Amino acid sequence: MSVKSSRETASAEAEAVSKSKLDDLRVTFRDPFFWSRWLVVVAFLLIVLVFGALSPEAFLKTYNLNNILVASAIPAIIVVGQTFTVATAGIDLSVSSIMTFGAVCFGLAFTNGWPLYQCVIFSTLAGLACGVVNGLIIAKRQVNDFIVTLGMLSVAAGAALVLSDGKPRQIIDERMANIAIDEFANIPYLMFIAFAIVLAAHFVLFHTRFGTHLLAVGGDSDAARAMGISIVKIKVLVYAISGSLAGFAGVLAISRIGAAEPAANTAILLNSVAAVVLGGVSLFGGRATILGPFVATLLLQALSNGLTILGVASYYQYVAVGVVVILSASLVRTANK
Amino acid sequence: MEGNKLRNSKIKFTIALSSALALVFAAATTSAVNAAPKKLKDIRIAAVVKGLDNPFFIGIKEGIEETALKYGVFANVQAAPGLNDAIGQANKLDSLAGQNYDCYIVIPISSNNLSQAVGKITKRGKTVINIDSPIDAASLRAAGGKVTSFAGTDNLAAGKAGGKDMIAKIGTGKTIGLIAGLAGNVTSNARIDGFKAGALEADPTVKFVGPENADWDTTTALNKANAMLLANPNIAAFFAANDQMAQGISRATGIGTKRIYGVDGISDALTLVKDGKISATISQYPYVMGQMGVQACIIAAQGGKVPASTITPYYIIDSSNIDKALTNKSTRGFFPNQLPPGKYSNPYASKIKK
Repeated sequence: MSVKSSRETASAEAEAVSKSKLDDLRVTFRDPFFWSRWLVVVAFLLIVLVFGALSPEAFLKTYNLNNILVASAIPAIIVVGQTFTVATAGIDLSVSSIMTFGAVCFGLAFTNGWPLYQCVIFSTLAGLACGVVNGLIIAKRQVNDFIVTLGMLSVAAGAALVLSDGKPRQIIDERMANIAIDEFANIPYLMFIAFAIVLAAHFVLFHTRFGTHLLAVGGDSDAARAMGISIVKIKVLVYAISGSLAGFAGVLAISRIGAAEPAANTAILLNSVAAVVLGGVSLFGGRATILGPFVATLLLQALSNGLTILGVASYYQYVAVGVVVILSASLVRTANK
Repeated sequence: MEGNKLRNSKIKFTIALSSALALVFAAATTSAVNAAPKKLKDIRIAAVVKGLDNPFFIGIKEGIEETALKYGVFANVQAAPGLNDAIGQANKLDSLAGQNYDCYIVIPISSNNLSQAVGKITKRGKTVINIDSPIDAASLRAAGGKVTSFAGTDNLAAGKAGGKDMIAKIGTGKTIGLIAGLAGNVTSNARIDGFKAGALEADPTVKFVGPENADWDTTTALNKANAMLLANPNIAAFFAANDQMAQGISRATGIGTKRIYGVDGISDALTLVKDGKISATISQYPYVMGQMGVQACIIAAQGGKVPASTITPYYIIDSSNIDKALTNKSTRGFFPNQLPPGKYSNPYASKIKK
């Protein structure tokens, strides 16, 4: 073998390797799963970069990034529950009302002099009860999840008004307020709580039998049933999780605004559905990620924060948020084809 | 336990420190800044109002924006994402708090929801002006916040004026039907209680039917008025806690020429007063609230002494002054009369240095 030919082979090999790497990359980029997983991260970085460039003296300050984290914490917890229901090809439209209901229950317990931890448990249990009712009706009676949770949206909102007589209940408690105000290493306590829940949910979904069964039910419920998975059990559990997380989020809402407000907050609901879709969870079930919707929550809050900082008029902000949601969702959709 | 104590003392220290800082800052604004007052064109104001799905808050927004334009200061008006989105509103104020604004005008959705955000602004040494609905003092104190000035309506006084005026028009010994808004609503209660007090003061023999709750709604008020008239044919006049409900009452069967009073001064009500369908609307002036908010901000930024609180004007608009009221037309809002048709006290305007 001459020196020359061996060199030629080497360069040809190198070329082949680089070509196959390029192909790999091309395959990766064409892979819908890659996009649905990473699109939200790319979009998030893009938004941070754009706002950072437009308003570096305000947007990228630690103080402001901290604001975004505080604002994201409560939606992030709601979004975890929503991800679970969507992963089973369901949806929970009652999250915002259950959150309000949980907050009102907390207020009732608190004004009756219950210790703080009991108030927290009470409001989480109130959410759990709503979720279990949702799940039982959806799974046992096989009623459409959309209708059942839409009904619960109204029932929980009404129950909150009945229990509170329509009046906000002031909750002035140093410990509660400090959860929302204090921080460790520039990260607010609220975000630590939210992130702990996100990590726990990630573990449950991808490292437990329940998680595997859940995704199986979402992917193909007939096949799952044939494998001996109890659809009813999974569905009830999923809505129970979503309900309890919403009830618990009510506690954090109180820590943030210092009162148990009986008025339902629909923005949280729209936000949660948008974040789940943006995060790359399939609305048809079976495919989910927990971290995707979490980043999507950060994205939506960063977007609203950035637009406010730039002084964009409120009317246009609604348009901008809607456009981002539709645009990203349709990008994921095209990528999936 | 020890940790808790330490923590508590740390919190107390923080509160003490921040209030001390606030005091120092207040002193600085009144003395040191006086030496070098901010020029009008350098003053930057941020405002967070309630949801813009209610004409009242569009009126306030208009007042802020046009007054800022008039003085040549910069104003960024933001709104809560919805009338009930208490958390979203707090997030908005947080977003603005980190920027270089001199002053923040706020209208809290509930009495508590902005307290923490205001606390953060106070700690940064900036001025906060509260208009329309007051922030609860206890929750503000707990969050270490400070409101420099408050400008808002006194619904009790507005109702009272209506009650007195009604008796003067219908005479003594009559029966008046009362229609309230949502059960338990603070604004509705204040207006109804004020009206009753005013009427009783003018005529201790006056009798009332109701108040019936019609949830601020036109159709509900119409149904309630019909029922009340059937049960009590001797009702001589009606008072409704808002204009939409007064509008409903005006369509009741057998209402004839009975006097009807509403509260707010919305566009529709003024037209109805002009047409003689309702007798009067006790008008409030959201535009003026916005105006006073901006003026208070300018005084603070110039280092002047800001009046601690002001009651914004209300006017009884009836056939005697409706034409004047309709000439102050706004170009955009649902509140056609930006400014009252007569004199009103504005303690802020004269304190601004040109």
